[in-house]
Amino acid sequence: MDELQHSNYQSRDYPVREDMAYQLKVWRFERWGWYVLVGVVLMAMLGVFSRGPISARDAQSTDGKVTVRYELFHRNGSTNPMRVVVSGRGNSQVELELSGDFLNGFSIETIQPDPIKAVSAGQGIRLWLQTDPQGHATLYFTLRGDGLGPYNTRISIPGSSPIDISQYILP
Amino acid sequence: MDSVLRAAAMYVALMILFKIAGRRSLAELTTFDFVLLMIIGEATQQALLGDDFSLTNSIVVIVTLIAVDVGLSLLKQRSSIVSRLIDGEPTILVENGKILRARLRHARLIEADLMEAARSSQGIETVEEIKFAILERNGKISVIPRDQ
Repeated sequence: MDELQHSNYQSRDYPVREDMAYQLKVWRFERWGWYVLVGVVLMAMLGVFSRGPISARDAQSTDGKVTVRYELFHRNGSTNPMRVVVSGRGNSQVELELSGDFLNGFSIETIQPDPIKAVSAGQGIRLWLQTDPQGHATLYFTLRGDGLGPYNTRISIPGSSPIDISQYILP
Repeated sequence: MDSVLRAAAMYVALMILFKIAGRRSLAELTTFDFVLLMIIGEATQQALLGDDFSLTNSIVVIVTLIAVDVGLSLLKQRSSIVSRLIDGEPTILVENGKILRARLRHARLIEADLMEAARSSQGIETVEEIKFAILERNGKISVIPRDQ
């Protein structure tokens, strides 16, 4: 039995010329490849390729006046939401600035609700929002990833500490 | 430029994936394999074309795919190493009526697959009647019967 098992891995010359050492490498490649495929599926479930627990992030400024929920990983050509909540005085206007190179990598498909005013500020944009009686203003963005690689965004309101977030756009 | 890169990347990715899947994966098409193939095609098509459905883009993509394919076959002709890497080699599964079980297991085949090929190609009923069964490079099993 042992001899037969051994002969399984010996190369034959007839009727076809074999190279079992190479064939064993191919089979090993197939076996490890299968582990890699399972790994990719698990990573996708976890959100390494966007939309999953690893990718969904929340960030807050140190004084708690600005919170943002965003996706760490984006895909080129697909859209993802981003939500920014700003706290200020009730029934007033707050100013929100988005700066950094993120507008080079993302196009903003929609902003809900429309800000009162929007101007460009350096590389980024500055928005004025109306707060509700409790002093909150929420802004929903739909971002489409157009670029590739890492992009940094700084979200700030005057008189408060900024939030720096990094996002990655996958091909 | 990005159409060419997309097509080339997709070609390489699919080649690696189907190498992992092994020889038998799509050689013997069952109905379900056929459906699977169509789904893979659909998923690929979106990534290949992106949001550009122009005639130019589709022609660029098709030209790239065929160019890579022809280039690879030219390379295979010149280098036996490349040829072996891409097409693989035939493997003997049955020798003089004896099944080489370890090989069968590595190739992710069972005896029923073997006998199916023997029946359909040679009308063979038992393993003892097989002289050689060979898993070919394209994933088909060819069977040589013993002399009566």
